[in-house]
Amino acid sequence: MRRFKVDPSAEDYQGHLSRADLLGDLKGVVKVSPNAQSYGVPLGGGNVSHGAPLFFSILFFILQMPLFAEAAPIRVVATTEDLAAIAREIGRERVAVDFIAKGVQDPHFIEAKPSYMVKLSQADLFVQVGLELEAAWVPSLLVGARNGKIQAGAPGFVDASKGIEALEVPTGEVDRAQGDVHLQGNPHYWLDPANGKQIARNIAEGLKRIDPAGAADYEKNLAGFTERLDSALLRWREEMKPFAGAKVVTYHNSWPYFLKRFGLIAAGHVEPKPGIPPSTAHLKALINLIPREKVKVIIMEPYFDEKTPQFVAEKSGAKVVVLPPSVSAATGINDIFQLFDHLISTLAGALSGAPLK
Amino acid sequence: MLTLLLWPFLACLILTGIHTYLGIHVIRRGVIFVDLALAQMAALGSTLAILSGHDLHDPAAYYYSLGMTFIGAAVFSLSRQRRERIPQEAIIGITYVVSAAAALVFLDRAPGGAEHIRSLLVGNILTVTPGEVVKTAFLYAGVGLFHWLFRRPFFIISFMPEQAAAERYRVRSWDFLFYMTFGLVVTSSVAMAGVLLVFSYLIVPAVTSLMVAEGIGARLWIGWGVGLFSSLLGLSGSVLFDTPTGASIVCAFGVLLLILMLGQWILKKTE
Repeated sequence: MRRFKVDPSAEDYQGHLSRADLLGDLKGVVKVSPNAQSYGVPLGGGNVSHGAPLFFSILFFILQMPLFAEAAPIRVVATTEDLAAIAREIGRERVAVDFIAKGVQDPHFIEAKPSYMVKLSQADLFVQVGLELEAAWVPSLLVGARNGKIQAGAPGFVDASKGIEALEVPTGEVDRAQGDVHLQGNPHYWLDPANGKQIARNIAEGLKRIDPAGAADYEKNLAGFTERLDSALLRWREEMKPFAGAKVVTYHNSWPYFLKRFGLIAAGHVEPKPGIPPSTAHLKALINLIPREKVKVIIMEPYFDEKTPQFVAEKSGAKVVVLPPSVSAATGINDIFQLFDHLISTLAGALSGAPLK
Repeated sequence: MLTLLLWPFLACLILTGIHTYLGIHVIRRGVIFVDLALAQMAALGSTLAILSGHDLHDPAAYYYSLGMTFIGAAVFSLSRQRRERIPQEAIIGITYVVSAAAALVFLDRAPGGAEHIRSLLVGNILTVTPGEVVKTAFLYAGVGLFHWLFRRPFFIISFMPEQAAAERYRVRSWDFLFYMTFGLVVTSSVAMAGVLLVFSYLIVPAVTSLMVAEGIGARLWIGWGVGLFSSLLGLSGSVLFDTPTGASIVCAFGVLLLILMLGQWILKKTE
């Protein structure tokens, strides 16, 4: 046992406030004699007082949520409200549809919550947007849910992007250091209403896989939905025809499918790299570009901070237009027809507004 | 529901185990925010890995993180002074802030890392995989064994540094070893549970045990108890109220500490 000499009258107790404090730290690990002038250091042992409250584990068991009894309708869980809305159109009474990311949330960043795991563990069919939109949070949720029916490759797994022609797929050498966050192309494809038909087809296929008895119903609903969507598309294109060729600026590069469908052009973006504030040079270039290209509107999703777009708008004469990118029960937009009605009328109103000063 | 929370609960157990012990050292040394700084340096390492063209989940990214953590360990062991003209916390704070800003600057060149940086703060203890838990358990057991074998030097350089120097311990080298093993633990913990939660596991049980007990043995057991209880409380709360799990555990720590402090104050008043 090594012994140390510590002068008990010393003022600096090695960083402790007092001798008593030092002794408190050393208790149980160091042998101390009453008028100690030296201390031995046999480490180990010391008083064992239990802080481990075992009975709280029992409390934990009691707090278990009761599992719901298996209900008759097929349980569909979609990642976004748009997919959920389309699933409702195809499945109608045969399905009970739930979703994870609310329409007012940014679907790139969703924090895992226990209720998501519960929903997924009880789901019969899972629908995701795909194209790496949810790559940050879906895979770990699926693993955690431990539901064999809905893992990737299982019959209950639907990637709604199957068969969709993706825009902005990076070509050539894929270098992560430049360009897009998403390597399989831009994932915001549901904003082209025509893609709703393919989404619906993918969901219908998934439903037929796990519920063959309802195949006829799903086909009928799919046909009806496609018809309504086609006629609505004609109406929307009519409304947007006067603005064909108009240039806009968008906050984030999430609107290419919408713009392409209705003949608009994206002249620039406020924040091209998500989460990284734009540089001064970039903002200056944008402020010069807007009057030059006769850009009237800066399109922004409601969950972004409008300070920077407002700044650009004031300096350049454009107008900030907040457009929801998704169906969202919270804002009263309950299906995709309402969504595009709202988007088209708001945008048309803004584009036909007063010209630049 | 129980099976869903089994692995997060086991993760909490091993976090409690190692971090309570390290926290006792950290508080004695007065370097409370060192784990924030090391975690941020690890994040900077990941960013550099992305810039070099690696994927976030490559082993290479982990080694980049570890490398940056070791640099941090070197900085902190070198900046500990006998007579503190500059408080070591200042160095730690500066390291934290500069690493965070550097990561932003580099990320401007390499998008896709922004989500990772954000998830580092929040962690994903709810979706932790059995593989992760087992791997980390083995790693921490190894670190624990190392610290047990060399408990004498580690204890002395933390609690009685003057003595250690007088006894010709190479304090700086042992300091570096301490921060190195600490950095190893922090990098793995933050990947699993996020910075906020790791900080809580490090500091709150140790603080509570300091308030209540004396001697390292007693403090370890109290700390482990506090860690276990807060984990249970946070996990159950997140299920009951459907809140993000990691954040709920942090809140549970806060609530528990508050109750204990109130309890102590009341006891003092009634003495």
